[in-house]
Amino acid sequence: MDSVGFHLAFWSLAAITVGGALMVIVSRNLIHAVIYLILSFIGVAGLFLTLSADFLALVQILIYVGAIAVLMLFAILLTPHAIRDNAETPMRYPAAILMGLVIAAGAFVALETDWGAMRDEAIPAQARVIGESLINHYVLPFEIGAVLLTAALVGAIALAREDEEDVPIHRDSLAQESLAQEAPGGLPEAAVAVAPPASGPAAGPSSPSAGGPSAGGGA
Amino acid sequence: MTGALAAWYDFRDLNGISREISEWVAGWGPDWLASFVTGLLGALGIIAIIGPTLLLLIWLERKIIARMQSRYGPNRVGPRGLLQPVADAMKLILKEELAPRAADKMIFLLPPILVFIPAILIWGVIPFGPNMQVADLNVGVLYFLAISSTTVLVVFMAGWASNNKYALFGAMRVIAMSISYEIPAVLALLTVVFFTGTLSVNGIVQWQQQNDVILLVILPMAAFTFLFASTAELNRTPIDISEAESEIVAGYHTEYSGMRFGLFYAVELANTLAISAFFATFFLGGWWLWGLDEWVPSWMILLAKTGAMYFVFIWLRGTLPRFRIDQLMSFCWKFLVPVGLLFVAVAAVERTLLIEEVWDATAALPVYAVVNIALTAATVAVYARLSGTPAQRLPSSPIMAQGRLGGLRAARELAQPLGGGD
Amino acid sequence: MTIALEEYLVVAAVLFGIGLYVALSKRNAIGVLMGIELMLNSVNLTLVAFSRFSESAVALSTQVFVVFIIAVAAAEVAVGLALAMVVYRNRHTVSIDEINLMKW
Repeated sequence: MDSVGFHLAFWSLAAITVGGALMVIVSRNLIHAVIYLILSFIGVAGLFLTLSADFLALVQILIYVGAIAVLMLFAILLTPHAIRDNAETPMRYPAAILMGLVIAAGAFVALETDWGAMRDEAIPAQARVIGESLINHYVLPFEIGAVLLTAALVGAIALAREDEEDVPIHRDSLAQESLAQEAPGGLPEAAVAVAPPASGPAAGPSSPSAGGPSAGGGA
Repeated sequence: MTGALAAWYDFRDLNGISREISEWVAGWGPDWLASFVTGLLGALGIIAIIGPTLLLLIWLERKIIARMQSRYGPNRVGPRGLLQPVADAMKLILKEELAPRAADKMIFLLPPILVFIPAILIWGVIPFGPNMQVADLNVGVLYFLAISSTTVLVVFMAGWASNNKYALFGAMRVIAMSISYEIPAVLALLTVVFFTGTLSVNGIVQWQQQNDVILLVILPMAAFTFLFASTAELNRTPIDISEAESEIVAGYHTEYSGMRFGLFYAVELANTLAISAFFATFFLGGWWLWGLDEWVPSWMILLAKTGAMYFVFIWLRGTLPRFRIDQLMSFCWKFLVPVGLLFVAVAAVERTLLIEEVWDATAALPVYAVVNIALTAATVAVYARLSGTPAQRLPSSPIMAQGRLGGLRAARELAQPLGGGD
Repeated sequence: MTIALEEYLVVAAVLFGIGLYVALSKRNAIGVLMGIELMLNSVNLTLVAFSRFSESAVALSTQVFVVFIIAVAAAEVAVGLALAMVVYRNRHTVSIDEINLMKW
């Protein structure tokens, strides 16, 4: 694992992973943050590949990039009048200190421990081996995982489902109120469905998401 | 044909050229450079093939659709209109590329480029022959699923950044559809993997070769599910509600003009071609055709099957009207997913009987084929009965079918009853 | 210099730190979920790195563990986002500063 190509792959993938994660912090727009998060996920999948864990790398892309990130984008679109600026709470100073401590401790442990000899062959045919051990050694966790996923599925549907007769009466007034708070520029059209493109840069790129709930509700 | 290495001039197995080059590079350069060069060659070969093929496919699609609708199609530019796609591409390149003022510039400009990445990557695992594969991953099917699921994100970026309600509607529809239809597609491929016992795409072809059968006969429901689900993910016309022009202008690429739109259009066709190739590989035997692959270059067989599948896609587009989104969603969740689960169970039982050697494959596979075809027909019939849409009678004598060949000739005969066909 | 376990662990540690910061400091509930996902990813990276550099039997169970983590992460995100939507529906905000009904 010390050829030039491997170095190139590792350092560029590490840069993508960490850089994407840093941009999640720095980015001022929540949608941009999710897209940088996806970049970081892809970098982690690439690092899995350099560790010759091809099955896990593809599972990573399939689930994190193809499902989880899309779910997050969906959730952002379905909460249209919430804040979108990806701002931080005053907790950011202790959090930053904690981050520094965790990174320092992790790096110290990683670099100072004697990890012993490394094994230099990969598991052959990982998908087969993992699958077989899932239904042999780990069959109980596997079943529990299945039950957990089913419970999460049912729970998520039960939570997110909106009963027609259950809608609070004052909902529309609430929506107007929060709109007025959010955009003092006062675009009455924005309340209908979507700010038209002519609404100017003040409405910004987050305004089309106001169309989100109607589109999602229709779907 | 089993693993024998071909000489570089053997055009039946283009792997020979790539191996010669990489061995030559390895002679003077480091190892990683050799593998890098091999990968680069594969990628460049794929891009070089796809580009011109797309231009041909655009022409073919327009011609065939026109033929189905009793029109002539493009016939002005070049012989038989062959240069029409080139002219269209020139027009798109010369057009001004507009961007909405309120668009999110960074995300708006990226998608036409990003959308190419999965479209090219997905060709990496298609086996064009016993040795002709850019990467014979032992998780090839998973690779296919993972790569094709990332297209959704690019489409979402395009739709959201446009700052246009129709683009956003289109993007939301794409996400909802793709996530829904990924589940039946995975279930369908799961039955394929059950039967072949491998996740490697080349392994699936080899299983079909060893057992002398194409999976389409054994797993008709899986084939249908895969076809329908991939049509949904491709946004092609019977199921193209994400860019339905009668409802939401052009969907997620409403705001894209010039070559940016052209890139979306090209990628859509490239993806259709890739899905055709994957269908041919999974269900039609790939590069293998009952021994014909001994005589004809295997990649030609695969391309022929791909072309046949592409014709099926065009045919569907020319024949069926667009579905509504609620019809599509209920078809996915109320029919394809439960039936897919049922067939996963059926395939598991059948495969277990094979593994346990209750009977051997030569006796079992025909029985399985008959059983599965009957089961598929039964589920479709029951669903049609339950959903309250009985099969409709066709009109007894449609006008266009009166002529012997239908289409243009019939139209001409209708126009000149005494003239006869030319 | 060869790339061994240490480099991967350092990358994972940095990723974990960033995820921790995002989870602790972001105002939007979905942003907090993003931080949690980053942390889970870094844990996965650590486990896969250990599986690459350890005994075969250990390596296998490590990878199976990663599969379980990914499954749990998917479940967690589904429920978490559903919760965010419920909160949004009732309070018209997903800002964790303003979700303070249970505060005395």
